[in-house]
Amino acid sequence: MEFGARRRFVYPGTRDSGDCEAPEMTVTEAAGATTAAPDARPVAARTTDAVKEYGRGDALVRALDGITISFAKGQFSAIMGPSGSGKSTLLHCLAGLDRLTSGTIHIGDVELGRLNDRQLTLLRRVRVGFIFQSFNLVPTLSALDNIVLPLTIAGRKPDPAALADVVRITGLGDRLKHRPNQLSGGQQQRVAAARAIVSRPEIIFADEPTGNLDSKASSDLLDFLRHAVDELGQTIIMVTHDPLAAAHADRVVFLADGHVVSELQSPTADSILDVMRHLGG
Amino acid sequence: MIGVSLRSLLSHKLRLALTTIAVILGVSFVAGTFILTDTINSTFMSIFATANAGVAVTVHGHPIAGQTGGVGGGQNHPVPTSLLATVRAVPGVKDAVGNIFREGATLIGNEGKPIGGNGPPTFGANWITDSEISPYHLRSGTPPAQADDVVVDAGTAAKNALVLGQSLPIVFLGGVEEHFTITGIAGYGTSDNLAGATIALFTEATAGRVLEAGNKYDSILVSAQTGVTDVVLRERLAKALPSYTEAETGQQAAAAAEQSTESTISTFIGTPLLVFAFISLFVGSFLIINTFNILVAQRTRELALLRALGATRAQVMTSVLVEAAVTGLIASILGFAAGILIARALLSLFGSAATGSVTLLPRTFIVAVLVGTIVTLIAATLPARRATRIAPVAALSEALPETQPLPRRRVLIGLGIFVLGAAALVAGLFTSNSVTLQLIGVGFLGVFLGVALLAPLLVVPVATVIGWPVRRLRGASGLLAGENARRNPRRTALTAAALMIGLALVTCVAVLTDSVRVSTNNAIEGTLKADYIVFAQGPGFNTQAAQALAQDSALTDVTEVRTTSVLIGGSSQNIFAIDPASLGSVLSLTMISGDPSVIASTNTALLDSTEAAASGVHQGQTVTFAFPQGAAVRMRVGGIYTANALVSGYIVSLATMQPNVPDARDDIVLANAARGVSAGTAERALHQDVNAFPLLKAMSRSEYRSFVGASLDSFLNLITTLLAFAIIIAVLGIANTLALSVLERTREIGVLRALGMTRSQTRSMVRWESVIISLLGAVLGLTVGLGLGVVVAGSLHDLGITNVAIPGGNLILYAVAAGVFGVLAAIIPTIRAARVDILRAIATE
Repeated sequence: MEFGARRRFVYPGTRDSGDCEAPEMTVTEAAGATTAAPDARPVAARTTDAVKEYGRGDALVRALDGITISFAKGQFSAIMGPSGSGKSTLLHCLAGLDRLTSGTIHIGDVELGRLNDRQLTLLRRVRVGFIFQSFNLVPTLSALDNIVLPLTIAGRKPDPAALADVVRITGLGDRLKHRPNQLSGGQQQRVAAARAIVSRPEIIFADEPTGNLDSKASSDLLDFLRHAVDELGQTIIMVTHDPLAAAHADRVVFLADGHVVSELQSPTADSILDVMRHLGG
Repeated sequence: MIGVSLRSLLSHKLRLALTTIAVILGVSFVAGTFILTDTINSTFMSIFATANAGVAVTVHGHPIAGQTGGVGGGQNHPVPTSLLATVRAVPGVKDAVGNIFREGATLIGNEGKPIGGNGPPTFGANWITDSEISPYHLRSGTPPAQADDVVVDAGTAAKNALVLGQSLPIVFLGGVEEHFTITGIAGYGTSDNLAGATIALFTEATAGRVLEAGNKYDSILVSAQTGVTDVVLRERLAKALPSYTEAETGQQAAAAAEQSTESTISTFIGTPLLVFAFISLFVGSFLIINTFNILVAQRTRELALLRALGATRAQVMTSVLVEAAVTGLIASILGFAAGILIARALLSLFGSAATGSVTLLPRTFIVAVLVGTIVTLIAATLPARRATRIAPVAALSEALPETQPLPRRRVLIGLGIFVLGAAALVAGLFTSNSVTLQLIGVGFLGVFLGVALLAPLLVVPVATVIGWPVRRLRGASGLLAGENARRNPRRTALTAAALMIGLALVTCVAVLTDSVRVSTNNAIEGTLKADYIVFAQGPGFNTQAAQALAQDSALTDVTEVRTTSVLIGGSSQNIFAIDPASLGSVLSLTMISGDPSVIASTNTALLDSTEAAASGVHQGQTVTFAFPQGAAVRMRVGGIYTANALVSGYIVSLATMQPNVPDARDDIVLANAARGVSAGTAERALHQDVNAFPLLKAMSRSEYRSFVGASLDSFLNLITTLLAFAIIIAVLGIANTLALSVLERTREIGVLRALGMTRSQTRSMVRWESVIISLLGAVLGLTVGLGLGVVVAGSLHDLGITNVAIPGGNLILYAVAAGVFGVLAAIIPTIRAARVDILRAIATE
């Protein structure tokens, strides 16, 4: 499989380098460096000087303080950072759920800032998938209806083969007619993951997807996401604070105080913990 | 704990706003009705008091049987004019005057149209020369002196721009116009007129002639010499006068008039309005139950926390009830204020003289506040009981069960109430007893409550069926709308049931009016043979019209139809009288036995088969008619016919009836085109003849059919208008439920928006949920209404309602209207749903 080769890219660990100027960084230097990903693969999403401020006056909070970053297609990226580091804000802005105060965000070649609410909505519908921490399934719909909901909203019929594929890898075959409240947390989150993936969006954004799951369910879900990247070429950007979860990613970006402060390629739980310890210290 | 519920009340004030409006609407209807009737009553009270101020004693005949009651009191038999001298001779009498005061003097306004038409009565009277006794007080001009002089009341003069010296055409008893000159304008007592009625005052001779009083007075008004009390004078008069008279003091007369007026207004205005006010409150209570249920559900955590912290069940119950009581109290007070506005609006609509100030009795305020608060409290009891069942552990649990299955007990209770209601309804409709109306009312209530309790069972199947096309048309929005409508069947059912009640009542009345329409049309087709029908909208008219038509060579078979009420076996019945010679040419009665011509022999009657069966009367049997004038006449039943919507009950000949009634008044005149005369010519001739009688209408059979249809339509419109309050409250209820549901589902809506649902799709989702709820209400309402209408119409067979008809057009209209109500109810909830902030909605707590 095409993306199987990706694992051959081995980058030096950042074990002894918390410096954000480290040469291994994929952080681009300036706006316009659109293809700055080191592997030179197409970019799924990128931000340029992304600034997001909340409040005003004394209460002004800069959640994103000029972030410039790209995410390659077909990659599983994790964003980590302590509370208040801006990781959720970055995810929300990338996903078109929130708007920047200044700077730009591109999904593919579309700049989100230029879109009105309706266009943003359509972009979310067609090009983006979501997995939330608290599953957020629609309680009135069966598992299957929840999975195909983005397609239903778009007025499209699911491709039966693709749907069967997704259903197969979720392992939910016999529970498709059940409503969310008849499913376990892990099953619900797999439904949510299948829902995110069924329309084959350009990017799936996952916001603490394992936050409400036990370790077994977490591991199942992360395997599922890994499969989606490896076998379907899916691009996933995941916010998490769990090093074990982040270790499933191809790349981990560390945020603190609205800045990208570090990054790891092909991380392991240990290497992530090292960076965290370093940043925390 | 009370502090907690008050704080909760304040924080939920927006959510309670619609509940408050529902209570306000219901209470304002109740308060408005009381204020309206109190104001009308007090207007009459002051009129009677001032008008009778100078009258010590009134002398009149005994009350006419069957003519008791009414505004101003019942009718009494007149007394001969010669009695006046006898009265004057009684010691202590200062002066006595004869009083002629009768309905039937219609003024023709400056535009040539009758004044007062179908509205307030049109009185004619003699000018009373003794100004101490007279209730009439000249404001300008002079009393009537010549035969063609008239004094009109100040209210009518002002309203219709009548001025001194002008010529005024007046129609008496449906006859031809006569021309008078206005010589004066007078007030009645201290009022401008008799609460909106017109009064025309003539010389005694003219009044006697035009009002056909004969040599009789309707009463004799007596004043007392100084030192003689009213009571003493009344006793002296009672002793001195013949036994056919009665004497009352002025105070007694006023009190009797007041009492009769009060009960008449209560019967014809107060009670019907209160029924509709009650319906509004009943519907409003559904809204209150739903609101408090939702509030309790939303506060489950908070209440559970209170329980965990040691609050008892009683305290939790109290906290909900205190919230309800305060809401009810505030809403009731506002409702009372709104009631004043409603009463004022209605008074000016009625064109009443009492537009100045409304009568506010403490009783009205107390009733309004009690009714509003108690209804709110009772409605909140069920949710409060639910609140007490919240386990303290619920404070800790994450998800709440969205739906609970309908307990069996509730299904059984619902079925029981429904069956009892249906039984009461059938008992009320099909058996004769003294509590018929109460049984029917209880029956309707039971049916509505039963259906409302069972409705949750119907939500899922009906919403699925209604939801199917919505799903097809509106994709995800439609799918979710249908699912949302079904997710909490009890809430949806209660919301829809509120709309059901209004729609069911409208449908029921529509079925009734359509049944009357079809039955009447059938009767016009089958029974009415006459080409033309002439009638007045009001009391019977004098025989001038029939005479004029009889002389027209273009017409033939001119037949007078008269009615009067008689007592048969103690109950009052309307009987028809008609000329047997032409009966066969104008009516074709379906005879079961005997021949219509039998009524040619005196004191022989025809009777319809339904009434015959009900009263157990057979052909050949004799029954006794007690005529209002006192004569008891034995009638032989000579034939039995089938009742229809035009004719039912007893039919006799004019010759049989006439000797027993004082005046010859026609209610209907029927005629045919003369042989060889074209329909056009005959119709022209008819209209030309009838033109001379401004109060009469002349119609061909087909015109008459449309006329009946139009009257039925306006009746249906009146009922629909009165039910509008109930329907508005139900629509508010839908808006309320949706708004609270949107609030509950904020997170879900945020997720849907994140998944790519546009704002317009979000709006569409809420709007279609609303439409589905409304249509569920329509399905229930139309079904229940049809059932009730068919049963009620079926029970009116003895009133000639031979056909039960279903007005398909109206039903479709109501269903469409319900859909529109759904869209309207959703306006604010859709805005709220579309405004949901995605990030805030999906943020993890």
